[in-house]
Amino acid sequence: MAGQSDPNVSIFSGEEVEFMAEDEMVEIVPNMRMEPLNMLCGDFGPFYPQMATQVPMWLAIALKKRGKCTIRPPEWMSVENLTQILEAERESQAAFQVLPFHYVEISSLLFDYASGDIPDLYMVRSLINDIRDARFLKVESSLESFEDARSSAVKVKNLSAMEVNVVRPFVGRALQAFYKHGSPDLVPNPEAMSARRPQATDNIQRRPLRRR
Amino acid sequence: MASYYDIDDILVEEQRVPVAFQQAVNGVDIDPSAETHCVEPGSKVELPYWLAHELHLRKVAKMKVPACFNQRTKLELGADGASVDLRSRCLYFYEFGCKIAPLVGDRDMGSFLLSAFRTRYQKILAKAHNAAFTAHSKLLSYLTKEETNLYEAAQSSMAAFKKWRIGGPRFERASVLGRKRKEAN
Repeated sequence: MAGQSDPNVSIFSGEEVEFMAEDEMVEIVPNMRMEPLNMLCGDFGPFYPQMATQVPMWLAIALKKRGKCTIRPPEWMSVENLTQILEAERESQAAFQVLPFHYVEISSLLFDYASGDIPDLYMVRSLINDIRDARFLKVESSLESFEDARSSAVKVKNLSAMEVNVVRPFVGRALQAFYKHGSPDLVPNPEAMSARRPQATDNIQRRPLRRR
Repeated sequence: MASYYDIDDILVEEQRVPVAFQQAVNGVDIDPSAETHCVEPGSKVELPYWLAHELHLRKVAKMKVPACFNQRTKLELGADGASVDLRSRCLYFYEFGCKIAPLVGDRDMGSFLLSAFRTRYQKILAKAHNAAFTAHSKLLSYLTKEETNLYEAAQSSMAAFKKWRIGGPRFERASVLGRKRKEAN
């Protein structure tokens, strides 16, 4: 892993991000009758044949593996919607289209386990791959611009979990470096600086993270 | 960030700095070929940073700007920062610069380092996330330690992502499970 030598920069592996994505809800159509499942994370069911119900991804996959249900692909995974998104992504260089936070992982999970339930599988798969590549190029180009500003900041909206995860170690390190090299000219007194390392003067007030 | 056991931090302090002694020092051998065991005031030597730093603080010696931060390097970095071979000049260019700047009284050092890093950052960014590792051995040979870390962080996260996307066996079977039970007797 990249961040191991430096505890401040840690990354999740792809599998871990996928694990988090498995908490997203999907709609399934069961083909069996079952009592409601009472889990710590909530109650799911009851399940009746041909009655659609909402369950988390992990449960849907577990049921699908046993042949107990079909998964309904989410609405955003339709060919029309994806084509639209891809076009919009290609049109504007700055803005990112709104997609589910875990779209990369969800689509990959569905392709792996429920490929039979997705209409136009090949089309959807290649569209999602194209969208992902287009977005990643844009992430790179938007990161390029962020050190022009005096504040060393960049604003990128609507990034997904996997995209953030891929650039996280790089951006984290780069920001640390910018901060470190930016600080000596912020500290005017050279005597105070030789006594105290510039990296240690991290007393900028942090804003609390916004709840998702 | 820089802890006592940080090996990079230790190596940074090994870098040599030219100093000029301001006082005579007795009982010191810095030049093996010297006849006497003392250092005249005004003599110039290159010492490791950790020693030069202490001498500088005690006003025994005065630090000078090391060769890797001379005017020529500054001009080269200003002209085309991305293709300057900083690795051969000083492997710890930025960290060393940060340490040196307050001691040699160079006010512009901070902004100089920052602008150098900025131009080089763009090049690393453009290369790091997309191409194969071997394709950039030339670029890698120019990068300082910190930039190499940055590059490798990007490479490995991209590699991890590709590995996940291609996928492997989703469930690994524990080696114990496949085995047959041993005979009881």
